[in-house]
Amino acid sequence: MSLFEKITNYGILARLQESGVVPVTTHERSWLKTMLQHPAAADAFTPGTLEKLRQLLSDSEAPQLAGMLIEKAGSAEKQVYHPLIRRLRSLIRSDQGIRISYRIKDGSLHEEHCGYPYKLEYSMVKREWYLLWYRFRPRSFMATKLDNIVSVSGNSLAPDKAEAYAATVRKLLDSRIRHAVIEVIPEFNNELSRILYAFSCFDKSVTYQESSDTYRIRLSYLADESEYVLLKIRFLGKRVRAAENAHLQARMRETAAKALARYGISGLNAEEHTEQSV
Amino acid sequence: MAKESFDKEIQFLRMLVLTTGAYSRQQFAERLGISVHTFDKTLRKLKDIASSVHESAARAADADQDMELGDMLRYNRYETSDPLLMFLFRAKSLKETEIDRLSLLLGELHGKAMTAAELLDSCCSRLAADAALPDEKTIRSDLKYLEETGVIRKINSGRPARYQLHDDLIRELSADELQELYDYVDCMANTQLPSVQGYLLRDSLKSVLKQHQTGRDATEPFLYKYHYHSRILDEAHLYPLFEAIADRRMVSFIYFSPKSRRSYASRNTNPLFERKAKGVSERILPLRVVYDHQYGRWYLLGHNTRQGIMIFRMEGLTDLVLGEPVEEERFSRHLAELEAATANSWLVDTGRPVRVKARFYNPEVAPNQPNFVKERVQQQGQWGTITEDREDSFLYEITVNGHYEIKPWLRSFGSSCEVLEPAQLRREFIEEWKEMQHGYEPVREDY
Repeated sequence: MSLFEKITNYGILARLQESGVVPVTTHERSWLKTMLQHPAAADAFTPGTLEKLRQLLSDSEAPQLAGMLIEKAGSAEKQVYHPLIRRLRSLIRSDQGIRISYRIKDGSLHEEHCGYPYKLEYSMVKREWYLLWYRFRPRSFMATKLDNIVSVSGNSLAPDKAEAYAATVRKLLDSRIRHAVIEVIPEFNNELSRILYAFSCFDKSVTYQESSDTYRIRLSYLADESEYVLLKIRFLGKRVRAAENAHLQARMRETAAKALARYGISGLNAEEHTEQSV
Repeated sequence: MAKESFDKEIQFLRMLVLTTGAYSRQQFAERLGISVHTFDKTLRKLKDIASSVHESAARAADADQDMELGDMLRYNRYETSDPLLMFLFRAKSLKETEIDRLSLLLGELHGKAMTAAELLDSCCSRLAADAALPDEKTIRSDLKYLEETGVIRKINSGRPARYQLHDDLIRELSADELQELYDYVDCMANTQLPSVQGYLLRDSLKSVLKQHQTGRDATEPFLYKYHYHSRILDEAHLYPLFEAIADRRMVSFIYFSPKSRRSYASRNTNPLFERKAKGVSERILPLRVVYDHQYGRWYLLGHNTRQGIMIFRMEGLTDLVLGEPVEEERFSRHLAELEAATANSWLVDTGRPVRVKARFYNPEVAPNQPNFVKERVQQQGQWGTITEDREDSFLYEITVNGHYEIKPWLRSFGSSCEVLEPAQLRREFIEEWKEMQHGYEPVREDY
């Protein structure tokens, strides 16, 4: 079997969309049948719908990939489909506001806040879901782990308000965009492939200067993601260098000094040995 | 006709996504080992498909005719979770007449059952007057193809056979149920492997839902962050490999080591244009596929009689062909060897096992704040264990095949991690932190 089928050709797709025909292939049904075996399915459907789907797929085969496909070095999967997703996504789709009680990192409870739910976001690194929302009082853009939501209900919004809040959120996100330029040390150009892979989870562009054989990766990310950018830079170590971003450079300088202090080496910029983590 | 291969498009898109903007046409073509003419042709084809499939790409292309494909494919991840490179899987070449015929056949079968003869009649009456009319043999072979893909099915056992769309999954569900299904498929395609089949199903469900929705109903509520976009390109090889593994068959391919600068060589038959052979012809018994979450890369693990266990990066595979089957006993024996050799692989290293011991320092946070260092070690530390837990730090120990693959992960913790053993790894960390400190010396000027 191949993933390149005539039936998935883009020309056919366009034509079928006009006539309202929706082709579903054997392989798509098999894929779905396999996915319905995941425990997360119980959180995603009402028992009736789940039963109906299983019935509809009873003639399909679920390929046994266990043993053939092994995943390595990922984060353990905390959650795939959180029970709150069904309610939240309907609130988002129906342009409603929310009334929400939630806990923050230190465990303290914030009760009955009103806000606008923007999107649900899953982090492939943390392997869990967050609600991105705009809190009305005090005004703030929030990312709350679904696990930290104590209660949430719909709260009607004036017509057209939802679009206005969505625009506010987009503007806020835009204002938080930061840039960094990561330079690949030319000595390590033979490892370029994996370096580029490591940064391919960010919005980025690459420039190449032929005369010096130097690659520079320009990343765009949100301010609160700079810790993750730093993590990637440390991950690659001496192969790359943060250029053109004073904050990242200062942090890397500090980290190197503190790391050396752990090994009992104090030198340039190394402060006391008692320093803690990044 | 030779089987259409997408190796070129895959390498093309991979390079495009990884090196967005870095190369001129000439540099890009040279690195792919193709002519600038082939480069332009491939680019044009991919642009066409992308703008037909992605609404956002189409809008971008409309606004700027000369827009680069790379820019067309960049999008705001805070707006959509459409997978960036899915359009590749819509690239199968098809003649216009075939597109006409297949979509007509499926349109006719929408909501009713028909025989091949009835379909031939209605096809002939519906196709444009100047179009070449299909014969019964063509219609029968189209129906056979559509039945094989599972898009249609026979509904009677007698003759003549009557065909119907096999779309119960869509038809039998209410609008609410379809929405629930779409959301689940979206989530699973984005968080589980393999995902391309899920993305294809997601596209189909999306088009059904669009028929019911208006305005903001269609808002996509889900976003996924830190995806490796190019990971889905390698799924092109995944299913043939699964098939080979399930049937215990050999495979052969031309392997281009990703470390060499050229990743694709065109198959020129004219010896004048024959390039120095860069790819290596390989023939192995495939045993297992490994996905590495640290980089979003795939590996193929297999065995060949001469070299024993072999490991390949999926992105280096081209011209993959399935060969003859081997005896079950041989497959099981090699799989057992592989399992023993990779039992302690952080990724795929089959080297000598070493005991790695590291001290992790807890962050200086208030007592009621989460210990993010420990959380991450627990979530990502694979089979390693925490052997000693103190107030300010904890000890993590793991036996891995060689320390090369675990090293970046340990280093990513910065000064929160102190390697204790093996001594060599400890020395390497010290040296590397020194080099990095030197690289960030404030006297060094940025430009």
